[in-house]
Amino acid sequence: MEDPYMSKESSDTRFLRQIPLFGKEGQTKLQNARVLLAGAGGLGSVIATYFAAAGVGYIRIVDEDVVECSNLNRQILFHEQDLGVCKVEAAEKTIHALNSDVEVDAVCRHIDETSVGDLVQGMDLILDGMDNFTARYVLNRAGLNEKIPFIHGAVNGFYGQVTTLIPGVTPCLRCIVPTTPTWEKNAIIGVTCGAIGSVETSEAIKYLTETGKLLENRLLLWDGLRGECESIQIMNSPDCTDCGFSEGEPYGRRSSV
Amino acid sequence: MKITVKAFATFREVMDMQIELEFPEGATVRTLLSELTGRYKGLGEMMFADPDTLRDFVNILKNGRNIHFIAGLATPLDEGDMIALFPPAAGG
Repeated sequence: MEDPYMSKESSDTRFLRQIPLFGKEGQTKLQNARVLLAGAGGLGSVIATYFAAAGVGYIRIVDEDVVECSNLNRQILFHEQDLGVCKVEAAEKTIHALNSDVEVDAVCRHIDETSVGDLVQGMDLILDGMDNFTARYVLNRAGLNEKIPFIHGAVNGFYGQVTTLIPGVTPCLRCIVPTTPTWEKNAIIGVTCGAIGSVETSEAIKYLTETGKLLENRLLLWDGLRGECESIQIMNSPDCTDCGFSEGEPYGRRSSV
Repeated sequence: MKITVKAFATFREVMDMQIELEFPEGATVRTLLSELTGRYKGLGEMMFADPDTLRDFVNILKNGRNIHFIAGLATPLDEGDMIALFPPAAGG
Protein backbone atom coordinates (compact mmCIF):
# COMPACT_ATOMS: atom_id res chain seq x y z
CA MET A 1 0.00 0.00 0.00
CA GLU A 2 1.27 3.43 -0.84
CA ASP A 3 2.30 5.55 2.11
CA PRO A 4 0.45 8.83 1.70
CA TYR A 5 3.29 10.73 3.34
CA MET A 6 5.81 9.31 0.89
CA SER A 7 3.69 9.69 -2.23
CA LYS A 8 5.13 12.10 -4.72
CA GLU A 9 1.63 12.61 -6.17
CA SER A 10 2.34 15.49 -8.49
CA SER A 11 4.77 18.35 -8.61
CA ASP A 12 1.77 20.63 -8.06
CA THR A 13 1.53 19.33 -4.51
CA ARG A 14 5.23 19.30 -3.85
CA PHE A 15 5.68 22.88 -5.00
CA LEU A 16 2.31 24.13 -3.78
CA ARG A 17 3.84 26.86 -1.67
CA GLN A 18 6.16 28.31 -4.31
CA ILE A 19 4.06 28.05 -7.48
CA PRO A 20 2.16 31.26 -6.51
CA LEU A 21 5.50 33.08 -6.90
CA PHE A 22 6.04 32.26 -10.59
CA GLY A 23 3.18 30.04 -11.73
CA LYS A 24 3.21 26.48 -13.06
CA GLU A 25 5.03 27.85 -16.06
CA GLY A 26 7.86 29.02 -13.81
CA GLN A 27 7.96 25.63 -12.10
CA THR A 28 8.24 23.95 -15.49
CA LYS A 29 11.14 26.27 -16.32
CA LEU A 30 12.93 25.17 -13.15
CA GLN A 31 12.23 21.55 -14.02
CA ASN A 32 13.72 22.05 -17.49
CA ALA A 33 16.73 24.06 -16.28
CA ARG A 34 20.29 22.78 -16.48
CA VAL A 35 22.72 24.41 -14.09
CA LEU A 36 26.44 24.09 -13.53
CA LEU A 37 27.33 24.24 -9.86
CA ALA A 38 31.08 24.82 -9.66
CA GLY A 39 32.23 23.66 -6.24
CA ALA A 40 30.61 21.47 -3.59
CA GLY A 41 31.86 23.37 -0.55
CA GLY A 42 30.13 25.79 1.79
CA LEU A 43 28.40 27.78 -0.95
CA GLY A 44 27.82 24.74 -3.16
CA SER A 45 26.11 22.94 -0.27
CA VAL A 46 23.56 25.69 0.17
CA ILE A 47 23.01 26.18 -3.56
CA ALA A 48 22.58 22.44 -4.26
CA THR A 49 20.16 22.00 -1.36
CA TYR A 50 17.91 24.88 -2.36
CA PHE A 51 18.05 23.92 -6.04
CA ALA A 52 16.92 20.40 -5.15
CA ALA A 53 14.20 21.68 -2.84
CA ALA A 54 12.93 24.11 -5.48
CA GLY A 55 12.80 21.42 -8.18
CA VAL A 56 15.61 22.44 -10.52
CA GLY A 57 15.73 19.55 -13.00
CA TYR A 58 19.41 19.06 -13.73
CA ILE A 59 22.41 19.91 -11.57
CA ARG A 60 25.94 19.32 -12.81
CA ILE A 61 28.00 19.54 -9.63
CA VAL A 62 31.77 19.68 -9.97
CA ASP A 63 34.42 19.26 -7.27
CA GLU A 64 37.61 17.22 -7.06
CA ASP A 65 37.92 16.93 -3.26
CA VAL A 66 36.87 14.36 -0.69
CA VAL A 67 34.93 15.23 2.45
CA GLU A 68 37.15 16.20 5.39
CA CYS A 69 36.26 16.71 9.02
CA SER A 70 37.05 20.44 8.84
CA ASN A 71 34.39 20.82 6.11
CA LEU A 72 31.53 19.91 8.41
CA ASN A 73 31.18 23.32 10.08
CA ARG A 74 29.69 24.70 6.88
CA GLN A 75 29.27 22.12 4.12
CA ILE A 76 25.76 21.00 4.95
CA LEU A 77 25.53 18.52 2.08
CA PHE A 78 27.82 16.21 4.07
CA HIS A 79 27.51 14.21 7.26
CA GLU A 80 29.95 12.37 9.49
CA GLN A 81 29.54 9.11 7.59
CA ASP A 82 30.72 10.87 4.40
CA LEU A 83 34.25 11.55 5.69
CA GLY A 84 36.76 10.42 3.08
CA VAL A 85 34.09 10.08 0.37
CA CYS A 86 34.30 11.98 -2.90
CA LYS A 87 32.30 15.19 -2.35
CA VAL A 88 30.22 15.02 -5.51
CA GLU A 89 29.18 11.42 -4.78
CA ALA A 90 28.11 12.32 -1.26
CA ALA A 91 26.39 15.42 -2.65
CA GLU A 92 24.42 13.36 -5.15
CA LYS A 93 23.12 11.12 -2.33
CA THR A 94 22.02 14.09 -0.21
CA ILE A 95 20.36 15.80 -3.18
CA HIS A 96 18.49 12.59 -4.10
CA ALA A 97 17.41 12.04 -0.50
CA LEU A 98 15.75 15.44 -0.67
CA ASN A 99 14.40 15.22 -4.22
CA SER A 100 14.83 12.03 -6.23
CA ASP A 101 13.52 13.71 -9.39
CA VAL A 102 16.62 15.88 -9.77
CA GLU A 103 19.08 14.61 -12.33
CA VAL A 104 22.55 14.98 -10.84
CA ASP A 105 25.67 14.87 -12.96
CA ALA A 106 28.38 14.37 -10.32
CA VAL A 107 31.74 15.31 -11.81
CA CYS A 108 34.92 14.74 -9.78
CA ARG A 109 37.20 16.99 -11.80
CA HIS A 110 39.49 20.00 -11.47
CA ILE A 111 38.08 23.14 -13.07
CA ASP A 112 40.60 24.76 -15.41
CA GLU A 113 40.92 25.96 -19.00
CA THR A 114 41.12 22.36 -20.22
CA SER A 115 38.01 21.03 -18.49
CA VAL A 116 35.74 24.07 -18.44
CA GLY A 117 34.59 23.78 -22.07
CA ASP A 118 33.03 20.36 -21.42
CA LEU A 119 31.61 21.44 -18.08
CA VAL A 120 29.68 24.47 -19.35
CA GLN A 121 28.37 22.66 -22.43
CA GLY A 122 24.55 22.78 -22.55
CA MET A 123 24.23 24.73 -19.28
CA ASP A 124 21.75 27.58 -18.75
CA LEU A 125 23.62 29.08 -15.81
CA ILE A 126 26.91 28.87 -13.93
CA LEU A 127 26.83 29.11 -10.14
CA ASP A 128 29.97 30.09 -8.26
CA GLY A 129 30.81 27.81 -5.35
CA MET A 130 34.58 28.05 -5.82
CA ASP A 131 37.13 28.90 -3.14
CA ASN A 132 39.65 30.74 -5.33
CA PHE A 133 39.76 33.45 -8.00
CA THR A 134 41.90 31.46 -10.43
CA ALA A 135 39.03 29.05 -11.03
CA ARG A 136 36.49 31.89 -10.94
CA TYR A 137 38.28 33.67 -13.80
CA VAL A 138 38.17 30.43 -15.80
CA LEU A 139 34.41 30.20 -15.26
CA ASN A 140 34.03 33.92 -15.99
CA ARG A 141 35.73 33.55 -19.38
CA ALA A 142 33.79 30.40 -20.21
CA GLY A 143 30.54 32.18 -19.40
CA LEU A 144 31.52 35.11 -21.66
CA ASN A 145 32.54 32.81 -24.51
CA GLU A 146 29.37 30.73 -24.34
CA LYS A 147 27.12 33.66 -23.31
CA ILE A 148 26.04 31.90 -20.13
CA PRO A 149 25.27 34.03 -17.07
CA PHE A 150 27.64 33.54 -14.14
CA ILE A 151 26.32 34.11 -10.65
CA HIS A 152 29.32 35.07 -8.55
CA GLY A 153 29.48 34.61 -4.80
CA ALA A 154 32.32 34.41 -2.31
CA VAL A 155 32.75 34.37 1.46
CA ASN A 156 35.37 35.32 4.03
CA GLY A 157 34.58 35.05 7.73
CA PHE A 158 31.34 36.94 8.35
CA TYR A 159 31.72 38.82 5.04
CA GLY A 160 30.61 37.93 1.55
CA GLN A 161 29.67 39.32 -1.83
CA VAL A 162 27.31 38.36 -4.66
CA THR A 163 26.48 39.62 -8.12
CA THR A 164 24.79 38.30 -11.23
CA LEU A 165 27.04 38.63 -14.26
CA ILE A 166 25.33 38.49 -17.64
CA PRO A 167 27.45 38.66 -20.82
CA GLY A 168 26.62 41.78 -22.79
CA VAL A 169 24.48 43.24 -20.01
CA THR A 170 26.70 43.61 -16.96
CA PRO A 171 30.40 43.86 -16.18
CA CYS A 172 32.28 40.57 -15.90
CA LEU A 173 34.12 39.35 -12.82
CA ARG A 174 37.44 40.70 -14.13
CA CYS A 175 35.95 44.21 -14.47
CA ILE A 176 35.27 44.42 -10.76
CA VAL A 177 38.16 42.32 -9.40
CA PRO A 178 40.96 42.62 -12.00
CA THR A 179 43.66 40.69 -10.14
CA THR A 180 43.68 37.57 -8.00
CA PRO A 181 43.49 38.61 -4.36
CA THR A 182 46.19 36.65 -2.55
CA TRP A 183 45.76 38.08 0.92
CA GLU A 184 42.79 36.51 2.53
CA LYS A 185 41.79 35.21 5.89
CA ASN A 186 40.62 31.66 5.52
CA ALA A 187 38.35 31.67 8.52
CA ILE A 188 34.84 30.74 7.51
CA ILE A 189 31.58 29.94 9.22
CA GLY A 190 28.56 28.15 7.78
CA VAL A 191 26.07 30.95 8.33
CA THR A 192 27.92 33.22 5.88
CA CYS A 193 27.78 30.47 3.25
CA GLY A 194 24.07 30.24 4.05
CA ALA A 195 23.52 33.95 3.45
CA ILE A 196 25.58 34.25 0.26
CA GLY A 197 24.62 30.84 -1.16
CA SER A 198 20.95 31.68 -0.65
CA VAL A 199 21.24 34.97 -2.53
CA GLU A 200 23.05 33.20 -5.37
CA THR A 201 20.30 30.56 -5.57
CA SER A 202 17.62 33.21 -5.34
CA GLU A 203 19.21 35.00 -8.30
CA ALA A 204 19.31 31.73 -10.25
CA ILE A 205 15.66 30.95 -9.55
CA LYS A 206 14.63 34.49 -10.56
CA TYR A 207 16.67 34.26 -13.75
CA LEU A 208 15.27 30.85 -14.68
CA THR A 209 11.65 31.76 -13.92
CA GLU A 210 11.95 35.35 -15.23
CA THR A 211 10.75 36.72 -11.92
CA GLY A 212 11.69 39.95 -10.15
CA LYS A 213 14.72 42.12 -10.73
CA LEU A 214 18.17 40.59 -10.89
CA LEU A 215 21.26 41.74 -9.01
CA GLU A 216 22.63 43.11 -12.28
CA ASN A 217 25.23 45.87 -12.41
CA ARG A 218 25.29 45.86 -8.63
CA LEU A 219 27.54 44.11 -6.16
CA LEU A 220 25.87 43.07 -2.95
CA LEU A 221 28.26 43.18 0.00
CA TRP A 222 27.19 41.32 3.13
CA ASP A 223 28.62 42.20 6.51
CA GLY A 224 27.37 39.61 8.98
CA LEU A 225 29.60 40.99 11.69
CA ARG A 226 27.61 44.22 11.77
CA GLY A 227 24.31 42.95 10.36
CA GLU A 228 24.74 45.31 7.39
CA CYS A 229 24.08 44.70 3.73
CA GLU A 230 24.53 47.10 0.84
CA SER A 231 24.59 46.86 -2.91
CA ILE A 232 26.83 49.22 -4.86
CA GLN A 233 26.83 50.09 -8.53
CA ILE A 234 29.37 48.25 -10.69
CA MET A 235 30.31 49.06 -14.28
CA ASN A 236 32.02 47.21 -17.09
CA SER A 237 35.33 48.49 -18.35
CA PRO A 238 36.01 48.81 -22.07
CA ASP A 239 39.63 47.92 -21.24
CA CYS A 240 38.81 44.75 -19.36
CA THR A 241 41.09 41.96 -20.55
CA ASP A 242 38.28 39.40 -20.35
CA CYS A 243 35.17 41.13 -21.68
CA GLY A 244 36.38 44.50 -23.00
CA PHE A 245 35.48 45.26 -26.54
CA SER A 246 37.28 47.05 -29.30
CA GLU A 247 35.82 48.24 -32.58
CA GLY A 248 34.36 45.46 -34.69
CA GLU A 249 34.27 43.02 -31.83
CA PRO A 250 31.01 42.49 -30.04
CA TYR A 251 31.04 42.85 -26.29
CA GLY A 252 31.82 39.62 -24.53
CA ARG A 253 33.71 37.86 -27.29
CA ARG A 254 37.20 39.25 -26.90
CA SER A 255 38.31 36.52 -24.54
CA SER A 256 37.80 33.70 -27.05
CA VAL A 257 40.67 31.28 -26.68
CA MET B 1 34.67 69.05 -4.30
CA LYS B 2 32.82 66.60 -2.14
CA ILE B 3 33.58 62.87 -2.31
CA THR B 4 31.81 60.00 -0.56
CA VAL B 5 33.90 57.01 0.49
CA LYS B 6 32.40 53.68 1.46
CA ALA B 7 34.48 50.95 3.06
CA PHE B 8 33.53 47.29 3.15
CA ALA B 9 34.46 44.06 4.92
CA THR B 10 37.82 44.06 6.72
CA PHE B 11 38.51 47.72 5.91
CA ARG B 12 35.73 48.47 8.38
CA GLU B 13 37.94 47.10 11.12
CA VAL B 14 40.17 50.17 10.81
CA MET B 15 37.99 52.89 9.28
CA ASP B 16 34.45 54.26 9.18
CA MET B 17 31.90 52.52 6.96
CA GLN B 18 31.18 55.79 5.19
CA ILE B 19 32.84 59.19 5.19
CA GLU B 20 32.43 62.39 3.20
CA LEU B 21 35.53 64.37 2.36
CA GLU B 22 36.31 67.68 0.64
CA PHE B 23 39.19 67.97 -1.82
CA PRO B 24 40.54 70.75 -4.05
CA GLU B 25 40.36 70.42 -7.83
CA GLY B 26 43.05 68.15 -9.24
CA ALA B 27 42.84 65.62 -6.42
CA THR B 28 43.34 61.97 -7.32
CA VAL B 29 42.72 58.61 -5.70
CA ARG B 30 46.26 58.88 -4.33
CA THR B 31 45.29 62.18 -2.62
CA LEU B 32 42.25 60.49 -1.15
CA LEU B 33 44.18 57.48 0.15
CA SER B 34 46.83 59.75 1.62
CA GLU B 35 44.08 61.55 3.54
CA LEU B 36 42.50 58.28 4.68
CA THR B 37 45.74 56.59 5.76
CA GLY B 38 46.65 59.72 7.74
CA ARG B 39 43.28 59.67 9.42
CA TYR B 40 43.01 55.94 10.18
CA LYS B 41 45.82 54.12 11.94
CA GLY B 42 46.64 50.77 10.38
CA LEU B 43 44.92 51.48 7.06
CA GLY B 44 48.13 52.32 5.22
CA GLU B 45 49.74 49.05 6.16
CA MET B 46 46.58 47.20 5.27
CA MET B 47 46.29 48.76 1.80
CA PHE B 48 49.84 49.33 0.55
CA ALA B 49 52.61 46.82 -0.25
CA ASP B 50 54.93 49.82 -0.71
CA PRO B 51 54.19 53.55 -1.03
CA ASP B 52 53.35 53.24 -4.74
CA THR B 53 51.74 49.83 -4.85
CA LEU B 54 48.36 48.76 -3.53
CA ARG B 55 48.10 45.22 -2.23
CA ASP B 56 46.44 42.91 -4.74
CA PHE B 57 43.22 42.53 -2.73
CA VAL B 58 42.57 46.26 -2.58
CA ASN B 59 39.84 47.07 -5.05
CA ILE B 60 38.75 50.66 -5.50
CA LEU B 61 35.68 51.51 -7.53
CA LYS B 62 35.01 55.05 -8.71
CA ASN B 63 31.27 55.26 -9.33
CA GLY B 64 31.30 51.52 -9.99
CA ARG B 65 34.36 51.30 -12.25
CA ASN B 66 37.58 49.78 -10.98
CA ILE B 67 40.42 52.34 -10.96
CA HIS B 68 42.65 49.55 -12.31
CA PHE B 69 40.95 50.28 -15.66
CA ILE B 70 41.02 54.09 -15.29
CA ALA B 71 44.40 55.41 -14.17
CA GLY B 72 45.14 53.52 -10.95
CA LEU B 73 46.23 55.79 -8.11
CA ALA B 74 46.38 58.72 -10.58
CA THR B 75 42.64 58.39 -11.30
CA PRO B 76 41.20 61.90 -10.96
CA LEU B 77 38.43 62.61 -8.49
CA ASP B 78 35.35 64.55 -9.52
CA GLU B 79 32.60 66.33 -7.63
CA GLY B 80 30.08 63.87 -6.21
CA ASP B 81 32.18 60.75 -6.76
CA MET B 82 31.33 57.65 -4.79
CA ILE B 83 34.49 55.72 -4.04
CA ALA B 84 34.08 52.15 -2.78
CA LEU B 85 36.96 50.33 -1.11
CA PHE B 86 36.61 46.57 -0.83
CA PRO B 87 38.78 43.54 -0.28
CA PRO B 88 36.88 40.80 -2.12
CA ALA B 89 35.99 37.69 -0.19
CA ALA B 90 37.53 34.73 -2.01
CA GLY B 91 36.39 31.64 -0.15
CA GLY B 92 33.57 29.30 -0.92
